[in-house]
Amino acid sequence: MRLVAEVDGDIIIAFEPNIGYVHRAVEKIAETKTYLQIIPLVERPMLPDTASANLGYILALEKLLDVEIPQRAQYLRMLLCEMSRIHSHLYGLGIFGNMIGSSTMFEWAFADREPFLELTQQWTGARLTASFMVPGGVRRDLPPDFTGKVLKAVAYMEQRLKDYDKIFVNNPVTIARLNGVGVIKKSEAARLGIVGPNLRASGVAYDTRKVEPYCAYGDVDFELVVREEGDCYARLLVRREEMKQSIKLIRQILDKLPSGPFFAEKYAKLINPKMKALMDQSGILRFPAVFSSLKPAKGDAISRVEAGRGELFYYIVSDGTAQPYRFRMVTPSFKNVIAFKSALLGARLADVPSVYGSLDYFPPEADR
Amino acid sequence: MGIIETLWQILTSPPVFIPLIFPGFVTLLIVLLLLIWFERKLTAKVQMRYGPLYIFKAFGGIIQMVADLLKYLFSEFIVPKDADKKVFILAPILFFTFTLLPLVAIPISSTFTATQSDLTLILVPAIGTLAPLMVILIGWSSNNKYSFIGSLREGYIMMTYEIPMFISVLAMALTYNSLNLIEIANKQTGLWGIVLNPLAAITFFGTLLMTTARFPFDISEAESEIVVGPYTEYSGIVFVLCLGAPYVKLYVLSLFYSIVFLGGWNPLFWPLNTNPILPGLALLVKGAIIMALAVFMRTIYPRYRLDQALRLGWHKLFVLSILSVILSLVLFGLGVL
Repeated sequence: MRLVAEVDGDIIIAFEPNIGYVHRAVEKIAETKTYLQIIPLVERPMLPDTASANLGYILALEKLLDVEIPQRAQYLRMLLCEMSRIHSHLYGLGIFGNMIGSSTMFEWAFADREPFLELTQQWTGARLTASFMVPGGVRRDLPPDFTGKVLKAVAYMEQRLKDYDKIFVNNPVTIARLNGVGVIKKSEAARLGIVGPNLRASGVAYDTRKVEPYCAYGDVDFELVVREEGDCYARLLVRREEMKQSIKLIRQILDKLPSGPFFAEKYAKLINPKMKALMDQSGILRFPAVFSSLKPAKGDAISRVEAGRGELFYYIVSDGTAQPYRFRMVTPSFKNVIAFKSALLGARLADVPSVYGSLDYFPPEADR
Repeated sequence: MGIIETLWQILTSPPVFIPLIFPGFVTLLIVLLLLIWFERKLTAKVQMRYGPLYIFKAFGGIIQMVADLLKYLFSEFIVPKDADKKVFILAPILFFTFTLLPLVAIPISSTFTATQSDLTLILVPAIGTLAPLMVILIGWSSNNKYSFIGSLREGYIMMTYEIPMFISVLAMALTYNSLNLIEIANKQTGLWGIVLNPLAAITFFGTLLMTTARFPFDISEAESEIVVGPYTEYSGIVFVLCLGAPYVKLYVLSLFYSIVFLGGWNPLFWPLNTNPILPGLALLVKGAIIMALAVFMRTIYPRYRLDQALRLGWHKLFVLSILSVILSLVLFGLGVL
């Protein structure tokens, strides 16, 4: 990531973000991998929001495979996604704080990701790159007394959000630094195709979870956080409110969590009976042999999910072999990077970090 | 008289003792080491971290700064090819010297002083104003855009804080009807300056944060914007001088603040206040409180933008400083003083 600013005194008159320095050719590599091998691949660029990256890919793949997902698996997927959204927002908030000089916000936000990372580890075995969702369901049912731990973490987070308000969000210096800075107007945001919290902070009520509900987002109740101002401070407030909504969602998900299998019957019956018994007993998925070379039907599929930083888009073209013919991944940061050019016009040089932090831009995600 | 006695007499005479031992070099070094350690430890405590820990673990890494200093001492001092070499090397040294120099004008008891002058109240901030000019020289000689932007910012901020600072000092001069720090301290046996003229005290503390680049005015060396501002090109021990100078300035101005606003060596009374040890200690404790308060700002505030700091300086601090002068005049007119 290289930012080139043309300044007139202290005022920016032209701004050019140069992306591509951490390009890793995820799309091209995906064409040489089997469908199951792509799961960890798509997670890599999307740190720290791996669950959504995983989910988006799996949703597109499942359309090609034509498989029915049990309701419990849908809810478990949502649970991981919301936990991931909270720590993605915390990550963004921490970087944001550090960019405008609040090292306390940075340390607090990064430390408070820990409960969620720890829970993810206990549940899936990995802190970030869980590779948790597989075609047909999830890798693991909830471990015993996991619900209580999640509720505890969520209650802790609620308390911490109040602390953040005191030290950072309502801090007069923060407000002075962010209010009215880096404004993206509603029409401009829509024209540029900005996504996620940045779009909602500009007054456009658009969230893939609402517009095109996937998993079971249609059955749970949450509010769209929208603000009209479109400046850095609005983006900060939208993220903070979204964390509260995620907390609300997690409580609902745990409340409504249906019982039943966590893996699709279509594949579960292919598992060897001994392994199947072991799987039912431990709640840990045993992979059926067919997963080693999944061959979806010829055709193409798209999926859209709302990742922490915005809408994530996948497009898979299958030619009936074990590898995709074409794989496309459009990440939210890639769509948001264009906002730098207009948001920073007329701003001051010292506003570059504020706008950068408020857009929650993540170079590896944009470059893929 | 033996040679040892002569040496002892020279060492304890104010013109040598004050610059060399207290509040000069020796105390300064100890205070700097402890202050930076304290700042890091306190920030770490607030931010749920450990801070310095492993060097002298029994005391919580208290000599971490010594280790850091040694590390810088042995790292190479690189002079960039395109830099103005003489200025590049001399400016930080002068910068450090000018920030340190006002110490000689600070008395540590009602009799123990190195500068016999009736103008010490303005001498301390006056020598201090030379230091920011060196920062501008540093930025110019480095021939680096970040250094240049940083030193320009320092220049702008200097314009903003110098005037309110001097006006608030003027207000205190009116309050005490004196320009001599010893007289000023001796006059505070009853009410301290901070009670007599709180407006001047607030203004001076604000300008103290600005001039020592504490948060939220850490603008000239804003890490996320311009690397380390003016000092970007520096390395090795000269870099330490650059980084240490704001802390030295904080130390000097804190001592100055405790004499002008916090009663100096009061509430110690005669004859306790003639011996330099107890009054000096009282001064140091008061100064330490001010220093701790200034470094604590790091954990609370983010950083202001340059134009906002300028607006704050001109619209708030400047007005406050004028009001403090009016307050002094009113008090004088009412015959309170």
